[in-house]
Amino acid sequence: MRYMLIHTADPDVAAEWDEDENWASFSSWVEETVRSGVSLQGSRLRPTADATTVKIRDGELIITDGPYAETKEQVAGYDVLECASLDEAVQWAGRHPHSWLGSIEVRALPDSAPAVPLPAPGEGKIRYMMLVCTDPAVDPREFARVEPVDPWVAETNGRGVRLYGSELEPPGSARTVRVRDSRTIVTDGPFAETKEQIAGFDVLECADLDEAIEVARRHPMARLGILEVRPFWPFGED
Amino acid sequence: MGEAPAAATATSVVGTVVADAFRQEWGRITAALIHQTGDWDLAEDCAQDAFTQALRRWPRDGVPNRPGAWLMTVARNGAIDRLRRSSTYRAKVEELAVMATRQTGTDHPEPGADDSGVPDERLRLIFTCCHPALAMEARVALTLRTLTGLSTAEIGRAFLVPEATMAKRLVRAKHKIANARIPYRVPPASALPQRVPGVLAALYLVFNEGYAASAGDDLIRRDLCDRAVALTQVLAELLPAEPEAKGLLALMLFHRARQAARVNDRGDLVTLEDQDRTRWDQAQIGVARRHLEAALAGQRPGQYQIQAAIAGCHAAAPTAQATDWPRIARLYQHLADMTGSPVVELNRAVAVAMTDGPAAGLALLQRLEAGGALAGYYLLPATRADFLRRLGRNTEAASAYEEAAALAGTGPERRFLNARLAEVRSQHT
Repeated sequence: MRYMLIHTADPDVAAEWDEDENWASFSSWVEETVRSGVSLQGSRLRPTADATTVKIRDGELIITDGPYAETKEQVAGYDVLECASLDEAVQWAGRHPHSWLGSIEVRALPDSAPAVPLPAPGEGKIRYMMLVCTDPAVDPREFARVEPVDPWVAETNGRGVRLYGSELEPPGSARTVRVRDSRTIVTDGPFAETKEQIAGFDVLECADLDEAIEVARRHPMARLGILEVRPFWPFGED
Repeated sequence: MGEAPAAATATSVVGTVVADAFRQEWGRITAALIHQTGDWDLAEDCAQDAFTQALRRWPRDGVPNRPGAWLMTVARNGAIDRLRRSSTYRAKVEELAVMATRQTGTDHPEPGADDSGVPDERLRLIFTCCHPALAMEARVALTLRTLTGLSTAEIGRAFLVPEATMAKRLVRAKHKIANARIPYRVPPASALPQRVPGVLAALYLVFNEGYAASAGDDLIRRDLCDRAVALTQVLAELLPAEPEAKGLLALMLFHRARQAARVNDRGDLVTLEDQDRTRWDQAQIGVARRHLEAALAGQRPGQYQIQAAIAGCHAAAPTAQATDWPRIARLYQHLADMTGSPVVELNRAVAVAMTDGPAAGLALLQRLEAGGALAGYYLLPATRADFLRRLGRNTEAASAYEEAAALAGTGPERRFLNARLAEVRSQHT
C-alpha cells in the first residue's frame, strides 16, 4: 500500500530545536527509507507565504495569496511511501523530524494510484505541489456533479506538466503522528481540525506560476474546491 | 557675497531638475534593471545611487543633455560593478555588458525607447507588481516602491503602517515573486482581460488613499494622487487597446480637477453641491474629457468608463442645480447592473433622490439597508440623514446624523456631519 506523509511545522515548537540535530535526523531518515525501498518520492515545500490558491466561482477565476487554510501547523513537505500497512507508515512517520517539529499526517492512497519516483527536474522548470482541497462553503451534494478528472490527468500527463498525483483516502481514515517529550502520540484524523481538508494532490512541473495557475484552473475541482499551488523547496536553495 | 549664493541657486535648480528626472525616470530604470538582472533589490539600490550621483555631479558638471540616458548608464554601470563583485552572477554581467555596448553609440533608439535609448519595461514591472498571486496591500506597496520610488517610510506613512511593517511586506512580496516564480512579463493578449482589472484596482486604490484622506498628512496624500495619475497615464499609453485604462485615467483627472474646491480654508469638507465651481481646474477637466471620449470610442464600456462619465456629468454642470441627474441615475443603474456593488446602489439612490425627490431615494435606501451589506459604513446613515432633512423630518435626520458621525473616521467628514446635525437640531423645535 502507498501512503502520503504530510509533514507540518509548528512555528512555536520548531523554534526550540537545534537545526543541525534535525538535519542529521532527516538525512538518516531519507537514507534508511531509500535503502529499505520504502521511499518513492518526497520534497520539502516553500513556506505558506509563497503559496497561491486558485478557485473558480460563478465562472470567475479567483487567485489568492496564501495557503488553502490558516492553520497553526503548516504543511511543510511530503513523502510517498510504499508500506505493508498503515502501522508501518505510522512508524516511519514517528522517526521523521517533523513528528517533533510539528506533526505528520499519514493518509492512504487508493489502490489505483501507481507509484512513480520523480525524474530529475527539467531545464529551467520549477516544481509545484498542488493540494486539492475541499471548500466548506460548497454544499457537499454538489460533489456528485463534479466532472471526472481523467481528461485533465491525461492531458497534463501528456504534456509533461503533471509528474504524479493521487486522490487520498478520506481524512477520517488518517492518522496524525506527533512526538512530544520523546513520547509518540498517534491520533485519528487529520493534522488540523479545519473545515477545509486535503482530498488529493498533484505534482506539477511548469515554466512559472502563471502556467501552474493555468493548469490548476482547468482541474475539475477548481469549481467546487480550493487548489493550493506551492513551490517545491529543493535542499541547498535559500 | 558673489559666488556662494549663485552656487546655492544652481544647486537648488539642479535639485529641481533631479527631482523631475526622478519622477520620470525612476520606474524606467528599475524596470530595465530588474529585466536584465532579475534582482529587485539590486535594481532599487543602483537606481538610488544614480540619483545620488546626479545630485553630486550635475551642479558641478552641468545637467547632461539627455538626463534619462545619463542616469540609466550610471545605474547600469553600478549594477555591473556590484555583480562583478559576486562571482555567481557572471552570466548576468555578460548580459548587461552586451546591453551596454548595444546602447552606447546608437543613434536609433529602439521602438518604445525614450531618450535613455532603453525599451520601456515598465509595463512588465506594473503587471508583475500587480500579479493576482500577491495580496492587494503588497501590490500597492510594491508598485509605489519600485515604479515611483516612494521610500518604504513614505509608503508606511501614507498607509498608516509602521516603517518596519511596510519593509516586511515589501520583502515578503519580493520573496514570493522569486520563490513562486511569478514571471516578469506582460501577460499574453488572451490573458489581458483577466489581468488588467487587478492592475487598475491597485492604481485606483493608491489614488483613493490619496484622495479620500481617511487620515494622515496632506502633502503625502496629494503626492499619492499624482503618482497614481502618472502610473495610470503610463498604463493607458502602453496599453492603447484597453479602454478601461483610459477610463480610469479620465476618472482620476475629473476628481483631481476638483481637489482645490473640496476643502475650505478651515480644512472642512465641502460637498459637491456647495463647492465653488470656479475653483475647478477646467484644463484638467478638458484633458479628462478627451481621455474619456477616446475610451468610449473603443465601444467596450467598463466600470471605470462609466464612473468617469458620471464624474464628467458633474464637471459639465456650471451650477449644482444644472446637474443632469436623470443621466447620472441612468449611469449608476448601468454600473449597478455591471458590478452589483452596494456602494453603487447607494450612489444611485442619491441620484434618484435628485431626480424624483428624496422620498424616492429613501425607498431605495431602505431596500439597501435591509440587505445589510453596508452595515457600519458612515455614508449610509449620512445619506439617509440628508434625505430626511430634505423631507423636513428633522428629528429622524438628527439621529441619523449622530449615527453617521459616530462611524465617520476623520476630522473633515465628522465636522461636516456635526455641522449638519446642529442645523437640523436648531430647526427641530
